[in-house]
Amino acid sequence: MAQKVSRRDFFKVGGMAGVAASAVGLGIGSILGAPAEARAETITVTDFVYTCPLCGRQTTDYDALVKHFEEEHPEAAVPECATLAINGTEFKVQVEPHWTLRETLLKAVGLTGNAKEMCDRGGCGSCTVLIDGVPALSCTTLAVECQGKQIETSEGIAADERWRPLVEAYAKHDAAQCGYCTPGQFTVAKYIIEKYGQPTEEQIRAELSGNICRCGTYSRHVQAIQEAAAAIEGGN
Amino acid sequence: MRHFKHMQASSANEAASVIGKGNALVMAGGTDLLGTLKDEILPTYPETVVDLKAIPGMDGISEDGDDVVIGALAKLADVAESETVRANCSALAEACARAASPTIRHMGTIGGNVCQMHRCWYFRVPDDRFHCRRKGGDYCPARIGDNRYHSIFGDQDGCFASSSHDTAPALVALGAVVKTTKREVPAEEFFKANGVRSNVLEDGEVVTEIRVPKAQKSAFQKFALRKSIDFPVANCAAARLADGSVRVALGGVYPAPVRSASAEAEVVGGIGESSAAKAGDAAVVDCRPLSNNEYKVEIARTLVKRTLLELAD
Repeated sequence: MAQKVSRRDFFKVGGMAGVAASAVGLGIGSILGAPAEARAETITVTDFVYTCPLCGRQTTDYDALVKHFEEEHPEAAVPECATLAINGTEFKVQVEPHWTLRETLLKAVGLTGNAKEMCDRGGCGSCTVLIDGVPALSCTTLAVECQGKQIETSEGIAADERWRPLVEAYAKHDAAQCGYCTPGQFTVAKYIIEKYGQPTEEQIRAELSGNICRCGTYSRHVQAIQEAAAAIEGGN
Repeated sequence: MRHFKHMQASSANEAASVIGKGNALVMAGGTDLLGTLKDEILPTYPETVVDLKAIPGMDGISEDGDDVVIGALAKLADVAESETVRANCSALAEACARAASPTIRHMGTIGGNVCQMHRCWYFRVPDDRFHCRRKGGDYCPARIGDNRYHSIFGDQDGCFASSSHDTAPALVALGAVVKTTKREVPAEEFFKANGVRSNVLEDGEVVTEIRVPKAQKSAFQKFALRKSIDFPVANCAAARLADGSVRVALGGVYPAPVRSASAEAEVVGGIGESSAAKAGDAAVVDCRPLSNNEYKVEIARTLVKRTLLELAD
């Protein structure tokens, strides 16, 4: 963005529920990203303050923001106020219409697992999140279109006690090397276990075929997912 | 990406009227469009992006008499897994199953795949570094540049790009009809690209539905460098239609999918090892490969043969 706006202004988030458990406690936890709540300085339960991204004017009233744009910046697109349900928590964020979900997760919500910038063109799968339970590339999804949908990221899955065996299997089988693609693979792994219960190697490889790993950890994912699937009760 | 206004359309006609009036584009899955916007590939950057995803009732897959009717917003994954599609036009199901990656298939729609822009690495270089024929320029960099993935059947209005949608040859072979907000276009006509566009859509026209006649048997084969997330070097679809006639279409070898009447003529008397091989030869007899892509001729020839053999009883 050309205009400087303090991160804090953008990050005012009205949280309505706490993210379940805390950080993962295994080395892999830092790869999958810490739950948003851990970034307490950015996630503040507050009256939502809208900030004009062009001139920095602040208001608590969305209609006033729209009016401000009509008067001062008639050519510009008005930021939208979106409520995103991420990992079971509703986040109220100010987003620009052209922001992708990946950008929004990183800039406005403070989640870093799936939200790292990789190819940013939908070619590598490292930004894969689950939207309404189905894998979707957050770099090619607009944030404003995700309202009313349930978004799950690697942080949410890792913090969920039920999916603990998946995190442990990933750590045990060393399914992450540099760790860049791991959050994307990990979210798809959850989808695979939910879809197939006890997936075969072919199913895992087919479903993960959209996730590129330059370190070549592919066979480790198969081992980790199969072991986790066996440990997770009723994966189906 | 730069700023644009975002609008959620409630009907295809509403979306069509918005893109007909001003500098606006429609978006369904977004997997193709958002990348082109990030790289500033389009000659004009849209002021408004109209989201089609929320339009109700446009993602269904159903049977209607002798046709399978697929809403333009049906996801590629849903088409690939649909029992109706698999049973009546398996070439299309297979084409959808081989497009892109599993995740993109959950996002991308069949309407979007049909309307996808050409892949050409000169066209797709960010920031208009090659002002080529398709961007309103007067030359095609692929003619003398590295053209290993380009057309082997010559240019179309000065452009040597290759069509990269996997569904296109399947729809042409199956004799599908693309329905838009204005008219119904046979798939064979729909993909007739001119220099700037990849299809015959006019301003203010949105694809709403695809009608595929039920075929007796159909097959699809794709050759790509990677199994997943890759565009075809070449792909081929063949179908034995309800009236018993066989149709063959090749993709990835020309800016539009190519229906091969000469290959079809070779298999009129039945499909066997030798007639399929002859059809493969006939399909590429007119080709004019560029300096780096003669290998594609061999691939196209073999794909036609293999796809036709899948139709053999």
